[in-house]
Amino acid sequence: MTTREPTVPITRQRREIHFDGRRIFREHFGRSWWLALWLLLLAYVTLLYTLNQFGQATLTTTAVAVIWLATLSATVYNEMTHAHHPLTLWLKDNLYSSVTNALLTLLLTLLILAAVRGFVDYAIVRASFTTDPDLAKATLAQYEKAGANWGAVIANMRNLMVFRFPRAETWRLTFVVGYLGLMLLASAFVYTQQRLRRSRIRQGLNYLWIITPIVTFALLLGITITPGALQSVLVQTAVLLLLLGALFYASKYLLRRFQHAAVGLALILVWAAAVAGALYLTLENVTFRLNPDVAWGGMLLTMIIAVFAVVASFPLGVMLALGRRSQIRGVPWWLTGLTAGLLTIYLLVNSSLPALASARGLLGSILAFWPLLVLPIAYLFQKNFKGNVVAAFSTIYIESVRGVPLITVLFMSIILFPILLPPRMEILSTWRVMAAAALFAAAYLAENVRGGLQAIPNGQYEAADSIGLNTFQKYRLIILPQAIRIVIPAIVGQFIGLFLDTTLIAIVGLVELLGVANLITAQPNWLGVRREPYIFLMFVYFFGSWLMVTLSRRMESRTDR
Amino acid sequence: MAQHPPPIPQHQERIPFWRDGRVLGVLAQVLFVTMVLLGASWLLNNVSSNIGTLGSFRCPDGTDSFRCGFLFLQIDAQFDIAESVVDYTPSDPYARAIVVGALNTVKVAFFGIILATILGTLTGIARLSRNWLVSNLAKWYVDFFRNTPLLLQLFFIYFGVILLLPNIREAIQPFGLPFYLSQRGINIPGPVFMPSLRVWLLFLLGGAAVAVVVWLLLARRERQVERSLNSTRWSLLAFSVVAAAGWLMANAAISSQAILLSETLPATEFADLPEIVAQRLGGIELAEVETAVAEGRLTRDQVNAAALTICAVRDAPSEANLAAQLRADDAPYVVKRSGRLDQAARAFAAGECELLAAAESDLIASQAALTGIAYRLLPIAEAPLRFSIPRLEGLNFQGGIKLTPSFAALLIGLVLYTGAFIAEIVRAGIQSVPKGQSEAARALGLTESQRLRLVVLPQALRVIIPPLTSQYLNLTKNSSLAIAVGYADLWAISYTTLNQSGRPVQVFIIVMAAYLSFSLLISFLLNQYNRRIALVER
Repeated sequence: MTTREPTVPITRQRREIHFDGRRIFREHFGRSWWLALWLLLLAYVTLLYTLNQFGQATLTTTAVAVIWLATLSATVYNEMTHAHHPLTLWLKDNLYSSVTNALLTLLLTLLILAAVRGFVDYAIVRASFTTDPDLAKATLAQYEKAGANWGAVIANMRNLMVFRFPRAETWRLTFVVGYLGLMLLASAFVYTQQRLRRSRIRQGLNYLWIITPIVTFALLLGITITPGALQSVLVQTAVLLLLLGALFYASKYLLRRFQHAAVGLALILVWAAAVAGALYLTLENVTFRLNPDVAWGGMLLTMIIAVFAVVASFPLGVMLALGRRSQIRGVPWWLTGLTAGLLTIYLLVNSSLPALASARGLLGSILAFWPLLVLPIAYLFQKNFKGNVVAAFSTIYIESVRGVPLITVLFMSIILFPILLPPRMEILSTWRVMAAAALFAAAYLAENVRGGLQAIPNGQYEAADSIGLNTFQKYRLIILPQAIRIVIPAIVGQFIGLFLDTTLIAIVGLVELLGVANLITAQPNWLGVRREPYIFLMFVYFFGSWLMVTLSRRMESRTDR
Repeated sequence: MAQHPPPIPQHQERIPFWRDGRVLGVLAQVLFVTMVLLGASWLLNNVSSNIGTLGSFRCPDGTDSFRCGFLFLQIDAQFDIAESVVDYTPSDPYARAIVVGALNTVKVAFFGIILATILGTLTGIARLSRNWLVSNLAKWYVDFFRNTPLLLQLFFIYFGVILLLPNIREAIQPFGLPFYLSQRGINIPGPVFMPSLRVWLLFLLGGAAVAVVVWLLLARRERQVERSLNSTRWSLLAFSVVAAAGWLMANAAISSQAILLSETLPATEFADLPEIVAQRLGGIELAEVETAVAEGRLTRDQVNAAALTICAVRDAPSEANLAAQLRADDAPYVVKRSGRLDQAARAFAAGECELLAAAESDLIASQAALTGIAYRLLPIAEAPLRFSIPRLEGLNFQGGIKLTPSFAALLIGLVLYTGAFIAEIVRAGIQSVPKGQSEAARALGLTESQRLRLVVLPQALRVIIPPLTSQYLNLTKNSSLAIAVGYADLWAISYTTLNQSGRPVQVFIIVMAAYLSFSLLISFLLNQYNRRIALVER
């Protein structure tokens, strides 16, 4: 006999509503008088704005209001019956967690929609995209409030990217961009593969990166071989490469054999001489046709200056950081005192006596004794830096450069370089600006590296000392690898900062991306175009920064072990 | 059998100096200094050979020397400065022009720091809100303004927004409030400082001292009796009492503002002036003048003829004060404005107006322009601050605080940019406080506001203050971009000076010294505050 189970009719579960009115009122409205007042104000403002938007954009506002009411009621109902759908749970936590938040959600949604609508109207609906100025003017004239005139930007795209780079030499740009693109792709592949860590491919890529700046700069400066000298140039280049290669391997051997800072310094001098000699020998057969002041502009100039400043500031910044933290034994106090005393006497005799003779009034006589300031300076130097000259110079340089604005440094380099160099030596504005940017970046980088060095536990320094490493070995093998790894995020931040700060060069007179944008607003063809180039530039800079930040985050997560 | 350790040699071997590390180190440093000095002397040599012929280091006796380099600061500047906190004319020396620039920088840096801190703190807290929209809006604002260049933002705000605002007659009024945005700047209602403010400031300082004393005494008593005696509230009350007393006293200080009357006006005190106008209009009540004009009993010309004519200096507080008091009495008046006090005095002497409104000290100083004219001095009461609302009169707004387009663009740009960085700092600071602290605070029954004030904020401030210092320094240094939007700050004026006087080296030294002093001052102040809130370690 089979027993039949009693059939239970399947009824919809009636949800039980838990509604404790008193508690809810107390929590959401009655906590304090201020809350009640604030909620009234917020409700009033939201209502006013919603009605205002009804009048302007009925469809979207109604849609938003209906969705808001529906989701709010659903969330409240689910909350009261203690049975949430994942969506309403998210809504309750993130958008409708309190009365304030619920009202704010509506208000902010309407505001954001109004802003987006306004921007889309301006940038797309009422805009003109044609590159013909007259057609653009006609198109925009039909609207009461003219939209954006993107034709100005599109027609000037070449200007924005490379400004006045000669059209005949565009092949150089193509070559450089292609070369760098390939190098970056190859690096992205080779440097992230563990199994290629010690391979020849990686070493070869390293050497290619070393010659990349030389190749890029030479091309961008318009290097041309004088006709007919091709063969001799090839022969000379081959010989030079062999010699420099031999010098390179010799340096590696010497550094490995004699691990000392003196060897490193001597090798730097030898390399400087070798490079100078190489340039001197090869330069008789090549000419540089492009003048950077004229040919480099737009985005090209921005990237060149940013990359150069970051790369060139690296060695200088690390040296400054090490110098600031150096613990070498300082000059003894008697030597400082002696030097200061002699200097003061010399200056007093040479400068104060004539000044006293022609001084006017009490102030003039007092100011004539300025050499006496040397003595307190020497005293402070001895007290604060214990006579350590290297630390003193590094600290003073870093703090001075960090204390003045970048624009001051740029103008100083533009104006002072001709004054500080011998009368017949001329340096192009581009070089002056690049040098200023590198020196400025070095000071900021020094502080970041110093932070990295401080973050390394003292035990590392002590352990290195205890196994008998000298200073050069200690820093090369133990300290700097760790410090650089800590400091890489700050370095990326510095690069982004420099990339954004290259805009200041527009004030100094060189025409980079922002400079071109300014020129576009002044073009007679596109009279009245004031905002569009700046809006385009904002997108460009934002995209560039976002790219670098994302890449650096990905790099960080990979080197995190 | 125990072995004695070998005896220690009595004499240490002297290391020869040519391989003694200490001597070598010192020698290396001496070599370094020598090379630096040689380089510096080469540079100085180049400098003298390059500009020796230009005369920028020329002494009065005809020789060239570095010590005469700064004498050029006494030469007349001969360029005008668009806006200035203190008086400036083109016949003032370069030194005064540079001081004006420094004050302009301080003005924009001061307001910039305050506003950026407020905006940054609010945004940082909004970033941590539970509301997804609020926190994401804050995030988008911060991400956008941190990743675009400041100069680009300034150019956009100045050339793309402010210069494209409508004409002054059609100025925008957001939400109908009396804030006027137009092509010629932003006019907002605000307090106007009267000279009697100095009296009130003394009372405020005294009140602050009294409040501090009260607070200290009550705090000591609180520690003794171990319960709260509301020391903060009592000290605030003491301060308010002294401040209110000071306000009344300053109100009664009637000696600093004054008006000159020509002898023809038979007035002995201020209240006589409305009576005189009423008599001129035939004994009518001043409050009914407007209705009389509307009904036709009086013509507008009659009212204008009977109105008091006042000569005043443009944008001077004395005019605002006098006008406000006359308006309070419904007395009609007509104002003739001049650029400077001596021009106004000349107009008064020429008989163009019956009253001359100015500060008494300035009137006494301009006695020369008034010799030979019969006049009397009538003091008027004034409050230390007069809250004035801008009104369009003719082609300009009178009253209120006027922000020039350049200043407004620079301030807004700096505040938005630095506010984004401060928001990140505040967010990081608040998030650095462990969640357990908040949970413990809630477990103890503290309200949300108490939790923030007593538990989270003190710990967060320790993490916030050092990077905040560097952001304030960045704001001060970024204010040098004023040259791009046409605001006359220290760098802009120094650049003009440099070009006009042809002395770049000296001007750069002055500018670097000025900016370094600003940086040192701000760092010093904030380091003191930092030390106060730092962890007290045993």
